[in-house]
Amino acid sequence: MKNTLRQVFHSPKFLVGFIIFVAVLLLAILYPLFNPGNPLQQIGLGTFAPPGTYVSLYDAVGTETSTFRLDDADAKRLASVLSDEDRVSMVNWLTAVGVDVTGLDITDTDALLEIWNANYDQSIRPEGMTNAQRNSYISLNNRLQSLGASETLTVMQPDEEGEMEEVTDIESTDYVNVGDVTNVITLPLGTDNFGRDVLKELASAIGTSLMIGLVAGCIATFIGLVLGLLSGYVGGVLDDIVMFITNIFTVIPSFVLLILINYSIGQENRGAMVVALVIGLTSWTWTTRSVRSQVISLRNRDHVNLSKLSGHSLVRIVLTDILPYIASYVVMAFILQISSAILSEAQLSLLGLGPKTTEVPTLGLMMNWAMLYSAHLGGKWWAYFPVIGVIALISFSLNLMNTGLDQVFNPTLRD
Amino acid sequence: MKTRKLLSLVLAIAMLLSVAGVATAETAVADLPRNETLYFGGQQWGTVNSWNPVGTNQNNAMGTTTNPSGSRTIMFETLYMFNLLDGSMVPLLAEGDPVWADDLSTVTVTLNDAAKWSDGTAVTSNDVIRTWEISLQLNNTAGANYGPFIESIEAVDDLTFTINLAKNEEGTPVNPLKVEDFLVATFVAQAAWLDTLEERNGGDTVAMLNDEALDAPYTGPYGPYVSNDQLVAFVRNDNYWGQDESMWGKLPVPKYIAHTIYADNAVTEVAFRQGEIDVGQIFVPNVQDLWEEEGLPVSGYMMEEPYGICLTMPTAWYNLNNPVLQDATLRKAIAIAVDYDAIIENAITNQSPTFEEVPRSCMNPTEVEQAMYDHEAVADLQWTGNDVEGAIAMLEEAGYVDTNGDGWRETPDGEEITLTAVCPNGWTDWQAAIELVAAAGANIGINITTVYPESSTYSTVYSNPNQTEYDIFMQSPDGAGPSQPWGRIRQFMSSDFVGLENNFSGNYGQYSNERIDEILELIPITTDEEELKALYTEAVEIYLTDVPSFSLMYRPQFFHFVNESVWTNFPYDGDGTNIPPTDCTDGYGIAALYNLQLVEG
Repeated sequence: MKNTLRQVFHSPKFLVGFIIFVAVLLLAILYPLFNPGNPLQQIGLGTFAPPGTYVSLYDAVGTETSTFRLDDADAKRLASVLSDEDRVSMVNWLTAVGVDVTGLDITDTDALLEIWNANYDQSIRPEGMTNAQRNSYISLNNRLQSLGASETLTVMQPDEEGEMEEVTDIESTDYVNVGDVTNVITLPLGTDNFGRDVLKELASAIGTSLMIGLVAGCIATFIGLVLGLLSGYVGGVLDDIVMFITNIFTVIPSFVLLILINYSIGQENRGAMVVALVIGLTSWTWTTRSVRSQVISLRNRDHVNLSKLSGHSLVRIVLTDILPYIASYVVMAFILQISSAILSEAQLSLLGLGPKTTEVPTLGLMMNWAMLYSAHLGGKWWAYFPVIGVIALISFSLNLMNTGLDQVFNPTLRD
Repeated sequence: MKTRKLLSLVLAIAMLLSVAGVATAETAVADLPRNETLYFGGQQWGTVNSWNPVGTNQNNAMGTTTNPSGSRTIMFETLYMFNLLDGSMVPLLAEGDPVWADDLSTVTVTLNDAAKWSDGTAVTSNDVIRTWEISLQLNNTAGANYGPFIESIEAVDDLTFTINLAKNEEGTPVNPLKVEDFLVATFVAQAAWLDTLEERNGGDTVAMLNDEALDAPYTGPYGPYVSNDQLVAFVRNDNYWGQDESMWGKLPVPKYIAHTIYADNAVTEVAFRQGEIDVGQIFVPNVQDLWEEEGLPVSGYMMEEPYGICLTMPTAWYNLNNPVLQDATLRKAIAIAVDYDAIIENAITNQSPTFEEVPRSCMNPTEVEQAMYDHEAVADLQWTGNDVEGAIAMLEEAGYVDTNGDGWRETPDGEEITLTAVCPNGWTDWQAAIELVAAAGANIGINITTVYPESSTYSTVYSNPNQTEYDIFMQSPDGAGPSQPWGRIRQFMSSDFVGLENNFSGNYGQYSNERIDEILELIPITTDEEELKALYTEAVEIYLTDVPSFSLMYRPQFFHFVNESVWTNFPYDGDGTNIPPTDCTDGYGIAALYNLQLVEG
């Protein structure tokens, strides 16, 4: 046993797969410890906040400031409001309404603003301009209004009588240290359409999906193994019956079967474990077929016949004389079953037939909601790409481990 | 080697064939020059069944959609067009305003003498009368909706007819408002063609309802052109009567109107972004990103939130069959604890005004309806949500405490409270909203679990007047129309629906209140503005006090987003045209088709 394990861990493929798998597993186990709380809690109002660190503006106002005089601060501030394209389109608008702009240097912000403010009227819609363009000019104009503001912003709040009272002044050269601000939240993967922390949800979803994979894999492997062992070893009528059922299940595409069963169970009854059960119950066929064929090749070996002659029971023969010879194969099949069960859950959830949404996050559900809220069309990569990445990593690592095991156990594949 | 050559030959042929197949499929589309065709999206799903103006199950979204907030008049026309911006009725086949008798017992309508069928014959009062008779005979949507309110329609002369309203025992008209709905919602079909329809189907009701009716003459500016499983297109009738100075004075601008049949909303959204669709009736989450961040030539009716005009409000209804929910205190406590801001920000991504902006009532957020009740009078009853402390205080005071220590409150009698909050599976914005209702329950110690059945199961259960499975469930009342907001108050609270089997119409929670029933009878026959306002205000007051249901957000009846890649000059807020954003086809919204321009360059 020890020797086998050492062999297994000497296989580079297995090792790489194992390390990736453990890393993903650790994320699922450790992240919730480090960042506790309900992964489905809605923390943000609004959909898809991008990844990053968020500083409470409210708290930042009262925080002690330091003054930095940076040369490029004003230029940056200006560029964030008024890009080069904006300057060109401002001139386009002015030309369209017939303002003479000859001799205007568009890099001269003051001159440009002056002529813009003197002439821009949002009620005018030049001939040939679409409403979308008109809207973009209105919002550009709104942004430009902040440029005219002074160097100092004043924060006011109403006192008891409702009079505005000055709280503090903010100079354009004031900076606060992020560490000093009371409330700062870091969202490494932003939020999803419900305003939930994606990384926290992801960590929890990995756990659920692995659990679904494990349960489904165990069920499928168990059924496949028992049926395969019995039909292969006993043969005869039992073999015919088992193979008949197996063939029926093989010709009906299992994914279609999965969809139909999940649909008829109904959303309200589809917990994560029910989905795992259904996946397990529909994916045992190829394990049965391959275990059976291996058992057939084993059952006439000398040591099996010897056992038979010694009067050992069927159970004992199967467990001690046959199972150990196919154990390595079963383990590999099991790993692949886990991997395919995780993929099945993701596919089902993507079709809206996965576990019900309220209780636990799963990888498929996260993708489902991201898709329903058009994250893939709107470039909100953080809502779905990490999920796809994790699914890919899990199935890649499991397959790599499987290949590694294959090389160890199957002498013909050894280098 | 030979086999391999043969194989590659077969493959090459197969490839050529498939390319040719794609090419033929595209010819149907290529026949429509892009700069003469206005493409729609989000209306037509699946192949058209029929073009039958008096049929049912036509599945012809562009051709035969009727609705009191504005029937789609590109092919068949109504007597009047409803303009939901100001609540007015603009004559279409009719001329001038309808003339009401002083006691509201009859209404007389004159037809426009310029109005012609596509076969060149004139539209007469006989067409209107024959259409009404056949609607009653077939009990189609128009017959079933307006049958109880119209006694008969009589011709005065070729162009004038009088509608006699149905009367109750006291001899007062049952409901003049519903008759106004009739005037804006029902299509007129040709009498001669209706005879043909009856003859060729031997008078068989089902056969007549399902007749494909490709030969039906129409009065509208567009007729059928292409219809297959990929596309449905209409072509302009260049002899359209509406060119007459008494109507539009010109033809609508696009020569063709087309609707590609897409698989689902997501595919439609992709096509809309790419400019393959000009007018999109689709919910695009965070639609502002399309123009603000991606710079697409896309706009809504308004440039600021909520980007469109909301006409209805998805509402959570309490099922009063559950004895626990018969206490208005519990109903109100749950309602005030719900975080509506979160619903509006996350579920509908701000395409709804907030309840601070438009306080809750039975009225939709349009100015016309908002002006119908006294906001001040009910201000004390309002709530804007997320008031967890207030809700807890209300419950504590009424004796809702956790007596058995399971963490959830029990009724003052010590009965356990477990409620289900339900909406159909896959209705994303509703699911997201109902999720937050359950969360509110958890915050105030009321046990609410969410259930998302398939939509077929859902409609069977909620429409059953005796159901006890769903305690809080979602449904939207009707949008705009001449009979609103009366119709909506009726949907929220009228006893008419209590105990009604297969009730898809309103008051799904079996609420009843005698005063409301009186008010509902009074409103349609009240003409004095002040009196009317007092009645509406009283109804809102009862609604906010008894909380038989609570709205979770506002929502457009139809989404109206346009992509100005090819066409421009669509209506927008403040353009001075008074054309409502109803996808350029519904009610007075069709006027937009006459103003369109091609984008230059």
